[in-house]
Amino acid sequence: MNLVDNKLKVLNHYHVVFLIQNVIIGTSLLSLPNRLSSMGYSLWWMPLLFGVVANLLLIPMIWLVRKYPNDTLFVIHEKLFGKWAGKTINAILLVYFIIVIAAVCSSYIRLIQIVALVDQKITAPLIIFLIIAIYIAHGGIKSVARFCIISFFLTFGLLYFLKWGVADGDIRHIMPFFNFTPQELFTASKKGLMTIGGFELILFYFPYIIYQKKAFKHASLGLWMSMVFTFAFTFVSVMFFSEWQLENLLYPVLNLFQEVQLSYLERLDVLGITMWVYLILSTTAAYIWVAKKGFDSVLSSTKKSHLYFVAAIVFILVRAPYMEAFQKLLFERVFYVMYAFFLWPILLCLIHMMKPKKNEGSK
Amino acid sequence: METLKTKLDGIEDAVFKDIYVDKERITLIYFSSLIDNKILHQTVIAPLLQSKADVLQTSEVIEAIDIANVISTITEGNTVLYFHAEGLYLSINTFSAPTAAISDTDTESSVIGPQNAFTESLETNLSLVKRRIQNTNLKIRNFVIGSETNTKVSVLYMDDIVNKENLDIVINKIKKIDHPGFNDISILQQLMDDHPFSPFPQYHETVRPDIAVSGLLDGRIVIAMENGKGIIICPISFFELFISPEDYYNRWTTASLLRFLRFFGFFLTIILTPTYISVLTYHPEMLPFEVLLNLQESRGKVPFSPFMEVLFMELVIEVLREAGSRMPTKIGQTIGIVGGIVIGTAAVEASLVSNTLIVIVAVSALLSFLPPNFIMSNSSRFVRYLFIFGAGMFGLYGQMIAFAWLFHHLLSLTSLNTPYLTPLIPRKWTDVFDSVVRMPTKFLKYKPGITRAQTKKTPPVDKEE
Repeated sequence: MNLVDNKLKVLNHYHVVFLIQNVIIGTSLLSLPNRLSSMGYSLWWMPLLFGVVANLLLIPMIWLVRKYPNDTLFVIHEKLFGKWAGKTINAILLVYFIIVIAAVCSSYIRLIQIVALVDQKITAPLIIFLIIAIYIAHGGIKSVARFCIISFFLTFGLLYFLKWGVADGDIRHIMPFFNFTPQELFTASKKGLMTIGGFELILFYFPYIIYQKKAFKHASLGLWMSMVFTFAFTFVSVMFFSEWQLENLLYPVLNLFQEVQLSYLERLDVLGITMWVYLILSTTAAYIWVAKKGFDSVLSSTKKSHLYFVAAIVFILVRAPYMEAFQKLLFERVFYVMYAFFLWPILLCLIHMMKPKKNEGSK
Repeated sequence: METLKTKLDGIEDAVFKDIYVDKERITLIYFSSLIDNKILHQTVIAPLLQSKADVLQTSEVIEAIDIANVISTITEGNTVLYFHAEGLYLSINTFSAPTAAISDTDTESSVIGPQNAFTESLETNLSLVKRRIQNTNLKIRNFVIGSETNTKVSVLYMDDIVNKENLDIVINKIKKIDHPGFNDISILQQLMDDHPFSPFPQYHETVRPDIAVSGLLDGRIVIAMENGKGIIICPISFFELFISPEDYYNRWTTASLLRFLRFFGFFLTIILTPTYISVLTYHPEMLPFEVLLNLQESRGKVPFSPFMEVLFMELVIEVLREAGSRMPTKIGQTIGIVGGIVIGTAAVEASLVSNTLIVIVAVSALLSFLPPNFIMSNSSRFVRYLFIFGAGMFGLYGQMIAFAWLFHHLLSLTSLNTPYLTPLIPRKWTDVFDSVVRMPTKFLKYKPGITRAQTKKTPPVDKEE
């Protein structure tokens, strides 16, 4: 896992920007306005607040990984906590990553089933999705980064379709501005913060970055690009929908696509949601790659077959015949672990500062 | 000599002819099928009878110890002279195999620009290139490949432009090839592919000397083979396979328009029929009611599912194309008319397919022939079937997944270890001048990024004092 060889440094600045940008945008954006709806019309600026939070969280992350420029977080854990404790933490992280992948896959595939493949079971679409995600992750993190770039250019055009929402919406909806209680802000933040999940993966691919000194700048750029994307959808949703609609429509962004009126296309939401697969594939492939690294770390062996293990477990998690309520609970609660994981690097920074310097990675 | 006779035993055209000069016995050994008797007389027998010393000075000595060397000299079309008194082997070039004359290209034709095509003679092909580049920087390295056929291969490059790393890769690849024989250079191309399982060509094969020369000037490497009419150019990128040589002879406006058509035609051809399946099978609500009504009406009596209907029509087109290309030209045209008009109309009247589909399939088939590179054209048809199956199974979602595969596959492909999607990844902004849009010639100052040429700029074309 120790990447002393500079040949393994494969990610240039474009890769870093788009990796951060595309991994963040998953399915949660589709339902973000609904999740934030407890704040009423005041929710539109929340993505900007999330951007600031994410950017602040990025500081300890980058500080930590720059102390160990050739190690992934899995290795850092072993260096800071010792082999066994480190491996145990890595195993917990691995489980967390697999559940996140399963949650993302499950929510997207079920959405596809509702919107585009009404009469089909989700098994086959899920299998084909996982095969492509493995195919992308198989080429390594550079391969994932390249796919992120392509995905960005393929889906960037979706912003154009907000035009109808702007035209039919009401700009007065953005006021009043501070019309919410602290409790509503807390609820909205709790539900909505998951939208920024994905940037923390830099803790794992940092050793592969060529220009590590500029990583913070590039990561921040990627972060804000996705926040602008998120902000645009949230802002137009607020303009377009009534407060009641924001609270009751599960996927308001999807409904925005339905408002597009073209002479040759009646329902754009089908096209929109199927095109969203590129964003989901970028997210999933990156997480699968990290989970594979987790497997490598826990089992102390680097094998491509670990990718298939990850995919198989994800498939079982999504499709296994167990209580639907449990699955729902698992996928919802896993995001609380994500919030803990956002703060985890701060603790690691403190431990690093207290540890003797001999454990520090080579620079 | 006895060993030589044993080795050549059973070869009817192997000739051992004794002549006597000053009472000394000299045996001429050659393959009668590879030489011309007139040339043999002019270059060997007559000079030998006049002055043996002159012949000894002008001909090449072969190391007699190495019998394999003597045999390979004979198989190359030389005449070997064995001087019994001295035990000496000499060779004189008398090769005179029939070669086709240089003719116009019929597979990569263009309205304007040079029309000459390569022939199946390596020497003629090299001369066609050398005639256009009269510069000592044009280097040629020869190799012999094919354990059974001993086929000659030449690697051409501009010494001052080419990337040496690329050159080493090509040479190493050629040296490592272990294959019994080559009927055409396309076999060599497949053996040299970085990704042999990919449906996409990773080298550019052409029969046009002007393309070869442009490639050399860009810093690419050109490989020519004896008995192969085409030559291969490497490295090449996905975008460049949509460039026709005529683009550079045309006005930039027309060239850009045609390039745009070719490039987007590739993507259109792979999504047209699959979209028909997706929309009719899974997402009829996507279409406006009037359009849907027309579509349903046109396929009202068709008993098959859209997937089967499309597959049937696509296969019919493939059969027609294949049948047409195997027939003599005149019959091939008839097949086209019979297939295109008779079968098309009859299939609609018999309610086997809808007339909307006939239009879509025909447009899709035409679009697939737009890429100037024939292999790329074939690739687009193969990829289209993947999209058809994707659409048949999962509608638009299947198509998007197929696109994800396609893009990722193209991203991971390389030609001589250089990314296939250059200049998109990695980008080189000067390549934009000669991409989907071809800028006026005065802007084309820079070598393409994919070649990683030593000299980055081409000489200025319009320098005015």
